[in-house]
Amino acid sequence: MKRRTALLLAAGLVAGLAGCSDDDGDNAAASDGPLTVWIMGDSGANFEQLVEPFTADTGIDVEVVAIPWDGVDQRLTTAVASGDGPDVLQIGLSKLRTFADAGALLPLDDAIADRPALDPANFAEGVAGDATAVGGQLVSVPWISDTRVLFYRSDILAENGIDGPPATWDDLRADAATLAGRGDGQYGYYIPQWDSPLPVVMTWDQGGDIVGEDGAIDFDTPEFAAAVDLYTGLYADGSVPTNADFDQTQGFISGVTPMLISGPYLAKAIADAAPELDGAWSVTTVPAAESGTSLFAGSNLGVWHDTANEDAALDLLEFLSAPQTQLSWYEINGELPTVTAALEDEALAADPLVQVYVEQLADAKVLPTVPNWDGGVGADLLTALNEIVLNGADRDATLADLYAKTSSVSID
Amino acid sequence: MGRGLTPYLFVTPAMLLLVTFGVLPILVAAVVSLTDMDISGLANRDNVGFIGLDNYQRLFDDPDFRDALLTTGFFVVLGVPSIVVLSLGVALLLDRGDGRFVRALRAFYFVPAVTGIVAISLVWGYLYNTQFGLFNYLLSLVGVEPVQWLSDPALAKFSVALVAIWRGTGLNLIIFLAALQGIPRVYLEAAALDGAGAWRTIRSITLPLLRFAIFFVTVTTMIAWLQFFDEPFVLTDGGPLGATTSASIFLYQEGFRNNQFGYASAGSLVLFVLIAVVTVVQLRLRRPDAQD
Amino acid sequence: MRRTDRRLRWTIALVLAAGAVITAFPLFWMLSGSFKPQREAIDFPPTLLPQDPTFDSYTQLFTDLQFGRYLVNTVIVVLIGGVGVLLMAMAGYAFAKFEFRGKRWLFFLVLATLMIPVQVTMIPTFLVINGLELTNTLVGVALPTLVSGFGIFLFRQFMTTVPAEMLEAARLDGAGEFRTFWSVVLPMSRPILAVQAVLAFIAGWNSFLWPLIIATDQNSYTLSVGLALLNQQISVDPSLQLAAASLMVVPVLVVFVFCQRYIVQGFALSGLK
Repeated sequence: MKRRTALLLAAGLVAGLAGCSDDDGDNAAASDGPLTVWIMGDSGANFEQLVEPFTADTGIDVEVVAIPWDGVDQRLTTAVASGDGPDVLQIGLSKLRTFADAGALLPLDDAIADRPALDPANFAEGVAGDATAVGGQLVSVPWISDTRVLFYRSDILAENGIDGPPATWDDLRADAATLAGRGDGQYGYYIPQWDSPLPVVMTWDQGGDIVGEDGAIDFDTPEFAAAVDLYTGLYADGSVPTNADFDQTQGFISGVTPMLISGPYLAKAIADAAPELDGAWSVTTVPAAESGTSLFAGSNLGVWHDTANEDAALDLLEFLSAPQTQLSWYEINGELPTVTAALEDEALAADPLVQVYVEQLADAKVLPTVPNWDGGVGADLLTALNEIVLNGADRDATLADLYAKTSSVSID
Repeated sequence: MGRGLTPYLFVTPAMLLLVTFGVLPILVAAVVSLTDMDISGLANRDNVGFIGLDNYQRLFDDPDFRDALLTTGFFVVLGVPSIVVLSLGVALLLDRGDGRFVRALRAFYFVPAVTGIVAISLVWGYLYNTQFGLFNYLLSLVGVEPVQWLSDPALAKFSVALVAIWRGTGLNLIIFLAALQGIPRVYLEAAALDGAGAWRTIRSITLPLLRFAIFFVTVTTMIAWLQFFDEPFVLTDGGPLGATTSASIFLYQEGFRNNQFGYASAGSLVLFVLIAVVTVVQLRLRRPDAQD
Repeated sequence: MRRTDRRLRWTIALVLAAGAVITAFPLFWMLSGSFKPQREAIDFPPTLLPQDPTFDSYTQLFTDLQFGRYLVNTVIVVLIGGVGVLLMAMAGYAFAKFEFRGKRWLFFLVLATLMIPVQVTMIPTFLVINGLELTNTLVGVALPTLVSGFGIFLFRQFMTTVPAEMLEAARLDGAGEFRTFWSVVLPMSRPILAVQAVLAFIAGWNSFLWPLIIATDQNSYTLSVGLALLNQQISVDPSLQLAAASLMVVPVLVVFVFCQRYIVQGFALSGLK
């Protein structure tokens, strides 16, 4: 139905061509055909391996399509335009609202009632329920936890007389300055210039929030101002690299930036690229000020709104939400489970890195679900801060612009 | 002529494809530009509203669009002359130097033209990298501080343009080489007999005879640079701080990142008209000169 | 006179050689990197040549990843592009050698398509391909770029030089219009066909945008999309990426080096002087 209307849009112009397909029905009508799953990035091969037992058990074939990060926007947009999507897709939290608003995702409230494995109560606190819903409807199921923790090079910190990782943001700033004093081209900390959640985390840690009582974005708070002080201070101290193309993996391995905040995938990247550093680095929870809250930035799984394979799709979601499946995924792809039972698994919890992640997950929040965070508020926030630190723009004027630009955006 | 239908039969298949994938989209864009279409409108036409010329009004008031146009202008002014001069210069040299050795060198100059953009972004990304890139390593050998090739807003414009110049020279070089082959040798020999030096011969014989090739290369290159997209998209994504956001990048971001399809369509139409005007002006300017 | 002549010649050769080295250097770097083991590829300072050359990355592309598949798909897309060359030749011939109503107007459309920014065409084109039920087929991937205004223009330029008498002679011999085109015009147009074939080859081989959007199934991905898949937010394996990039560039390069003489000739005869 939707597909037809989308075609009609171009109707007057495409009429002759579009006409051919008007009544050809929905996606490959055969409801026992293979399930198509879209996975972002290059972990497609691993995912195929993950779902092998599912196919063996149920006889449902799963066709995995990996979508390059560079093409996610185009692919999702054209899928919405034509109505022809996959059956199941991985969707980052920052894009959830946009695609749910467009009606691309199937509401799952009813389905979840019948399927105990998908019960929000099974998932770590804060990642299920509201965090997976848009406009009061559940449209997704948590899949991967990506919380941010502090990575640090214990060897380099020790060489410079720093006993342990900084526990507070003030300590971090001081330690970073010390480490940056090692010489030219050496820094203490790394701020990714594309990382819009970081200033938000800093604001949370100052005890504030970027959403006001009325549900509208509000940057004009003392806590955000304190976060900006911290952010700009790190640059002013010369503690962070100023180039946008800095590679965090290489920077950490080479020791140029011995501290940074990143997600569990970085641990895997470091371990793969530099096994000889084993023991010389570790992770800990993010520094605190008023609080030590970090970001929860995982991705969820959704079901395409007009899939012909709804039951099979939900079966797959159930399979993927099983603790055992999530543990295998951590093993083959290094991404953290979202199900509590998996997070508490003994084997997993024995891993000291995982202990830190789990501890951090207990104190992690999702970004506000405004429409289009990445292209809207997030981009404005980064532009403002980077203008100040990189271009020397006037702080007050730039922030006043930011307040004005974003105050009309609301999470409702 | 009695062959009434024939030309249509020959023209139709290609024109059908060209109209479907070349002309039709701009007409669709013209319609969409009068609406507030966003992603929910794309999914369901009931969510699309007609808003008249509001998008155009907003576009002309949008400082970001103005900046993007200015940036495009900068790229055109930098890129077009560079490509024309460089490809013409190298073609003249290649044409002069004969022998096996020089002919073998040709291939090297064509290499960039045949390289896909995804491969280019990868290789140049490594070369330009501030910490680990080869360029900065080479500079460090002679004691120069690391340069932020793609992170410094002023420099990034040049770095991105350099890659596009590198890639754009090859094909135009071929066109010039071809045109040079078309110049009858007798002209050059006559000039040599008259005792004209190399420089003089180029100026008063070769260049005038290359007029159409130069014109052709300039027009096509200009169109390409007005649509400048690939290199900034893969190398900087329009950054740092929008320094390399060309008009095409701006439209892409409005359309596919912010899902403002109506607004992006209006912008594309403006860009299309701009390109058409610039091209027509060039064609007009050439006309009187073609007579002599 | 002789002496300065020789010196000039040497200078030119040297300048050209230096320019050639600089121009081709990024690709040399790519090739060299593709043979480095993963660890060496991220080393700093970088090594110019691999210290410990290995084919591992290439093996990995074909065994762990589906690059064999992508390669086949890419070749098919390129072959379909050959049909496009023929269609453009036909259109160019009609524009060059026939008078017909609407010719000026149609040719204007051809030129106008050169000026349309690609970003506009993405969604409408996708809807058309989808309407034709060609998403996820290699024909669908090739279709949007099958013919180009630039190509038709070049064919027209060239074919205006085909003497009208030859066409008349063929017709007097009783050859039909299509036969005339096939056995008289096309053989005479070999140089420009070579140019167009190579341009179509390059375009098809490197195509990224349309395969990305239209191939909704990984089995129809092309090399460019496969390469983009390796491009993660965190780069871990540059040698693998460089190997994939080399796999893309080297074949085009070989084709190009072999055909370069025809290409220059083709352009030379197309009246571009």
